[in-house]
Amino acid sequence: MSKDFIQSAGLKLAILAVLFVALPLLLVSLDKGYIYQVVMLALIFSLLAVSLQLVTGIAGLLHLGHAAFYGVGAYIAALAGADYGIGFTLGLPLAGLGAAAIAFVVALPTMRLVSIYFAVATLGIGQMIFLVLQNWVEVTKGPNGVSLFSGIDLFGYTVDSELGIYFVVATIVCISIWVIHRLSHSYYGNALRSLREDDQCADAMGINTVRLKIESFMISSFFAGIAGALWAYTTGYISPVDFDFAESILILAMVVVGGLGSIPGAIIGALLLILLPEALRGVGDMRNIIVGFVLFFSILFLPKGLFGEVPSLNFIRRQFGSAWQDNPDKQKVGWK
Amino acid sequence: MTMSRRTTIGLLAGAAGMLAVPFGAMAEGPVYLGYQLPLTGNTAQYGQDFKTAAEIALKDFNASGKIKVPVEIIFEDSRSDAKEGVAIARKFVDDDRIVAALGDFTSTVSMAAAQVYKRAEMAQLSQTASHPDFAKISEWQFRNITTQAQEGVYNADWMNEQGLKKIAVIAEQTDWGQSVVKDFAEKVEANGGEVVFTEFFNRGLPDFRSIITKIERAKPDAIYTGFFYEDGAQFLKQMQQLNIDIPVYSTSAAYNQKLVELAGPAAEGLFLTVTFLPNSETDHVKKFVDEWKAARGGAEPGQFPAQAYDAVNIMLEAVARAYPDVSRQNVRDELAKTKDFPGVTGVTSFDENGEALKQLTKATVTGGQFVPLK
Repeated sequence: MSKDFIQSAGLKLAILAVLFVALPLLLVSLDKGYIYQVVMLALIFSLLAVSLQLVTGIAGLLHLGHAAFYGVGAYIAALAGADYGIGFTLGLPLAGLGAAAIAFVVALPTMRLVSIYFAVATLGIGQMIFLVLQNWVEVTKGPNGVSLFSGIDLFGYTVDSELGIYFVVATIVCISIWVIHRLSHSYYGNALRSLREDDQCADAMGINTVRLKIESFMISSFFAGIAGALWAYTTGYISPVDFDFAESILILAMVVVGGLGSIPGAIIGALLLILLPEALRGVGDMRNIIVGFVLFFSILFLPKGLFGEVPSLNFIRRQFGSAWQDNPDKQKVGWK
Repeated sequence: MTMSRRTTIGLLAGAAGMLAVPFGAMAEGPVYLGYQLPLTGNTAQYGQDFKTAAEIALKDFNASGKIKVPVEIIFEDSRSDAKEGVAIARKFVDDDRIVAALGDFTSTVSMAAAQVYKRAEMAQLSQTASHPDFAKISEWQFRNITTQAQEGVYNADWMNEQGLKKIAVIAEQTDWGQSVVKDFAEKVEANGGEVVFTEFFNRGLPDFRSIITKIERAKPDAIYTGFFYEDGAQFLKQMQQLNIDIPVYSTSAAYNQKLVELAGPAAEGLFLTVTFLPNSETDHVKKFVDEWKAARGGAEPGQFPAQAYDAVNIMLEAVARAYPDVSRQNVRDELAKTKDFPGVTGVTSFDENGEALKQLTKATVTGGQFVPLK
């Protein structure tokens, strides 16, 4: 065990300590429902931003309909819970799988499209899913939305305290982000990046580009669905307008402001765009203008994002690529 | 030693005094209400109207001296976004000073926030939430808007009296639009009439002509519509362009002076129910309209600000009745007792679910004006 390993484990432990010890302690000592709500919202949107990062930042597919898959997950979880008595334990994976299944179906015809054409196709898909949620009244209850009063049940144990719900959400978000981190900071992630840089070249090198695109699209939608289920269970009421185009744009803005291709960047972007408007509540009606200015100037002066891809990759390699650091003589490229 | 004893006594006296002050202040301090509403974003115009209406109501109430302490309203901007609405509800609930909440504007945000108020046991009174299940969420939810269970039935009977039996129904695709069709259609059929055509449209539809053509093919005696003024003006204009002369009936949601401005002569002869007419001669309506005009540079208030004005007044009355023991529970109980409240949107009572029962007035558009029908 080298010193580097301890150092890198240190950061992992620090993140876990903040999420599962320091933050809960702070939440309990403040005992404000409002703070719980904002923290949970920040967690859910971190997951949404990171999942979009996989498709848009890393695989380079501009996706304008991410909120629709978030909505599919939320609706599956809420309808399964409200109408069929399927609780959180089963509803959560169902929400992810359902969103991924729909992503697979819509990915098939769109994967041959490139750049802006793909973006417009995802815009259309997002709107289609939104309109289905809105107008398929028999199934989705249409604009009436779905109320879900059941609360979170985990393997037969009902979690109803604020802190318990926080731990459930934090754990799920943490595991999900860790999975996306492992996928994107690996040779698999490099293959996705090669699609973004030059998919014909990647094809010539023997990478199955279409398959990778579909996979990344499905994985991303899976985690959007998970985030949707978390939103449905933490709010208790969902309706189609929670998942409209503006929401897709909000998630995309988090990814771009944080830094395209950077997983920590996506988290920073999500935290910024959720926490800043709440922190500025005291300013009154001007707060949206201030948020707009912050976004504008951050893009103007940091076009690669608050935590761009290159520094982020270096950071991840140094802090999280522990096996890679074991042998200092090896060439410092690639992943282990 | 003496010195220090004196100091100790002084400190004790000081501490006692400091303790006494907050207790005294608690009885005399203002009563706080929370109001969540969209002050920015796509629906900001509605939220800004509510804020003006609330400020008018609050100013008059505090000037009236009905209770010894002033009431203050804390406004929070929800942007009509459920994420923010829920966070605000949590914020209000956390704040021990706040005894009850008003808002939100849209059903979605109101419903999502309602889950918070229900758990925390704080009364929530929305001036506009129209979702059929809103008031049923718990005993803590109230609203000051006529429900379609009341209005739809009233309109079905009205049309029945006019001998209109075959009716086409269109409504916007929202929770409210759904209830417009459902409650109306049930009563029409109970009256021996027939709904010959039903269609929902998405809000902001620019072209109603295909719907109008389909309506014409169904040959109804009249058309019943669930729309707001923007869609209503568009629909009426296109009816006129296609030269279709079938009487159109609508709900109080279509009531807005802008409907006449936008649709022009096409709005003539529209029948609708209203609860608020700004040109009414009643004293309290006149007073509200005058104050509104003073605050807004001469513009007339619409239906929604009037509902907000009444909602705030109903809440303030409940606070006044609960005074001096203004707890969350007491305010809710007093709110539930609201009966025959003389609002600008008609005499209002809450039923056992917290639904507003209002006096409805039949009206029509003549010469660019909404006029009540006898």
